[in-house]
Amino acid sequence: MGENKSDVLQGTLDLMVLKTLESMGPLHGYGIARRIEQVSGNTLALNQGTIYPALLRLEQRGWIKSEWGTSETNRRAKFYSLRRLGRKQLETETRNWERIAATMARFLTPSE
Amino acid sequence: MEWVRILLSRCTPLFRRQRLDRDLDEELRGHIELAFEENRTHGMEEQEARTAALRAFGGLTQIKETYRVQRGFPFLEQIGRDLCFGFRQLRRSPGFAITAILTLALGVGANTAVFSLINGLLLRPLPVPRAEELAILRWNGSLDPGFNYSFGAPMFRALEKRHEAFQSVAGFSSNVFEVHSGSGNVEVPAVLVSGEFFKAMETSPLLGRCLTPQDDQPGGGSTGFAVVISEGFWQTWFNRAPDVVGRQLYIDNAPFTVVGVIPKHFFGADPTRRPEIYAPLWAEPVVDAPFSSIAGGSSHWIRVIARRNPGVSLEQANAALHAATNPILDESIPDAKWIRDARSRHFQLAAEPGSNGYSYLRSVFVKPLVAVFSLCAAMLLLACLNLASLLMARSAARERELATRLAMGATRIRLIQQLMVESLLIALLGTAAGLITVPVVSRSLAAFVLGNNRTARLLVTSLDLRVFAFVALTVCVVIAAIGLVPALRGTSTNLNEQIKLGARAITVRKRMRTVPRILMSLEVALALILVVSAGLLARSLTRLYQSGLGFDPKGVVNLDLNMSKQSLVGEPLIRWYQAYGDSLRRLPGVKGVSFVGVTPMSGSWMTGHLHTSLGGDREVDLNRTAPAYFQTMRIPVLTGRDFEWSDTPVVGRKIVLSQTAATQLFPTQSVLGQHVTMDKASYEVVAVVGDIVYASIREGTRPEAYLPIMQSEDQKGSYTAVVRLEGSPVGFAAAARSLAAKMAPEIPAPEIMTMSSDIDASISSERMMAMLSIFFALCALLVTAIGLYGTLAYATARRTSEIGIRMALGAQRTAVVGMVFRENAWLVAGGTVAGLVVALLATRALASFLYGTSVRDPWVMLASVSALTAVASAASLIPAIRAARIDPMAALREE
Repeated sequence: MGENKSDVLQGTLDLMVLKTLESMGPLHGYGIARRIEQVSGNTLALNQGTIYPALLRLEQRGWIKSEWGTSETNRRAKFYSLRRLGRKQLETETRNWERIAATMARFLTPSE
Repeated sequence: MEWVRILLSRCTPLFRRQRLDRDLDEELRGHIELAFEENRTHGMEEQEARTAALRAFGGLTQIKETYRVQRGFPFLEQIGRDLCFGFRQLRRSPGFAITAILTLALGVGANTAVFSLINGLLLRPLPVPRAEELAILRWNGSLDPGFNYSFGAPMFRALEKRHEAFQSVAGFSSNVFEVHSGSGNVEVPAVLVSGEFFKAMETSPLLGRCLTPQDDQPGGGSTGFAVVISEGFWQTWFNRAPDVVGRQLYIDNAPFTVVGVIPKHFFGADPTRRPEIYAPLWAEPVVDAPFSSIAGGSSHWIRVIARRNPGVSLEQANAALHAATNPILDESIPDAKWIRDARSRHFQLAAEPGSNGYSYLRSVFVKPLVAVFSLCAAMLLLACLNLASLLMARSAARERELATRLAMGATRIRLIQQLMVESLLIALLGTAAGLITVPVVSRSLAAFVLGNNRTARLLVTSLDLRVFAFVALTVCVVIAAIGLVPALRGTSTNLNEQIKLGARAITVRKRMRTVPRILMSLEVALALILVVSAGLLARSLTRLYQSGLGFDPKGVVNLDLNMSKQSLVGEPLIRWYQAYGDSLRRLPGVKGVSFVGVTPMSGSWMTGHLHTSLGGDREVDLNRTAPAYFQTMRIPVLTGRDFEWSDTPVVGRKIVLSQTAATQLFPTQSVLGQHVTMDKASYEVVAVVGDIVYASIREGTRPEAYLPIMQSEDQKGSYTAVVRLEGSPVGFAAAARSLAAKMAPEIPAPEIMTMSSDIDASISSERMMAMLSIFFALCALLVTAIGLYGTLAYATARRTSEIGIRMALGAQRTAVVGMVFRENAWLVAGGTVAGLVVALLATRALASFLYGTSVRDPWVMLASVSALTAVASAASLIPAIRAARIDPMAALREE
């Protein structure tokens, strides 16, 4: 892996997936993985495969649902979409993240 | 709620694993294809595009595994796989499987069966609301030390009126009613209850109403005596007729009105009885006619159960009873001397917990049942020890497999888990097999304990929650015991050593065999204790049977004739007996007929005080007999003459004394023609007969006197016909019954028992203990033999090559037999010594059950040790001989 890429922080992958689904609508696994890579500007060391256990975890919690559909290239693929519960979860998680990020930022900015 | 959803979604894969796996494969394949296509559109070469797609995806197999773990319950699936593996392992060694399952089934089954019986008799609360509020009343201060649970009517009526601590105080007394049906009278189990009985039990009727204090009055309520019937009686006698309330029943020749039906689950306050009719206590003179305990005043025949006021503790209730004791005594007992005597013996009323009702059987069977239960527990422990040894021997035989798996990276926890699952499987199978047999075993055990008791109905010994809890607990203990030790040991070996040395690891093996040896020695010791107990109990039982009875019970049949409700009285009734006896004598196979008041060892007896003019004064057992009793029972008439039918009241009172009674009353003179007095009446001694056992075998022979039935004050005496028969009693019983029906159509069909079964019944708890302990001892011997054989066979199989080398180097076959045999010989010897020491200490607890047998009976000890040694030798000799048959060449080639 490239030296300037950072590992995905534990738990943040879920948030990324939820956010992706919120902004893009129903999407298949490859699409989600590509979208995360693009948004992060290729700074993340993401094995695309790790997205699948995450998707299963979110589905088990009832935050997202999946159904089989056809991809843009006419290939059978499983499409994931956000459920109401997931939308609510996304809001809480976002607020949480913002708080943590702000705290961390305060910590790390050199004090004058 | 989230965890529920996760749980549910995780459960589905348990059933659709293959489809889900296919879906996952397709999805991942689709992903890589999409990546590949995108790479191609960006202008990559085909090979390059595919590699890039796979690289971006990451490890396919790892992802799939993580996904599967996330998807279901990997732990459960693992256990499932272990179970399958365990099943295959057991199928591969069916001998081991069957032994293990059967021994466990036996241990668990016997324990649960005995526990259900203990539960039914002692622990289960009565099926009434808030049974914990119930209390049983008792008193002490009679001649007998200990507690009395029977009250006389006056004292009960005085108690009934007091409500300081109790909402309601109720009396009950079991009875048997003669109910008139179309074809004569039928005996029906019944109970007399006081007015507040149903209120105390808080029972609601199925139909009509329950009995109330208004019904429990002298002469009954406004419409005469009322009864409540059981649902079963409603079914069999009235075919569940809805208009049964208000109908009449003729009980003991008196009319009773049915006022209600009680639901099936209710059986009153005695868990060992199933009364079908509940009648008011005041009806006692009617149903007991011509006798009356109420009029008798001083007889004790009522048990008392009471319901405490809410919030009143047992201690408070006892304090209230304590305070009420003296007023109740003064109020209810007219006899000042009795009161003085009672006070001098610290007469005291008290209440004890009564949630499970009262049964006199408890006092009889608690000790034997607890003893049998300890034997059962020892048996279960033995089965566990045996299983642990076998499992250990087996896991020792598997140590290479385990070592290899450890070397391949399996964790120790994972292997222990698998071994534990295997023992769990055995435990579950064994317990299930045991549980299947429990209902049968416990029912026959209950019949064994209570069946001979004529009035006691079978306890309902169906399994309930408590018994299930008990079994579950046993199973847990069993699993822990049999699974953990071998699992820990099997995986603890030093890996390198194992793989290096393989099957030749003699040094390692020696060290590893201490624990199995200790286990097997313990098993031998336990088996010896069981065998010694069985031997002692069996010897005591044979002593009981061998102790001479003084008469010959073989071939004697008893017919209970109940004459109290028919119309003949006095002289005509005696003539009826004579005529009936003559008719019986003409039946085929009958060698002798007579009548007696109380048959020996029937559980009851009479006593009386005899005085002589010389100042002799002796309490003796009493009985009433008809002519030819001594001849029929084969009791020797030593001097004088038997009673004759002509010994009517006009010829003066006659009496026959037993030898002991005669020598005690008249130590120096000849006895014939002497007079003795009893209750101010004078009797002439006409004969002296041999001593017999009358009250119980345990009591042995006691001084006894016989009076003729022809001179009884009781004008409506019921006697038992004793008949000496040659040949089968089956045909005789039918003939005797039809004769009775012809000659006295009013009486219920006489109950017919052989004298031998009466004697068996009189020592039923001794018989039960002896037979069960013999059964357990045999099982213990068998299980121990299997264990000794199994462990030695496993150990020897692993020494095949060693033995091969020894024989190749010139060891004699006999030496090999000796070498293998010695392994068990030491172990058995150690176990025997330990067992003997413990047996000498532990069997002291059995002392109270033994009759004429010392707990250190040397013959029993010797016989037990020999039996155990013989069985152990046989079990150890087979593997030893098999070891000697090893072909050295074949054994060496196997290396």
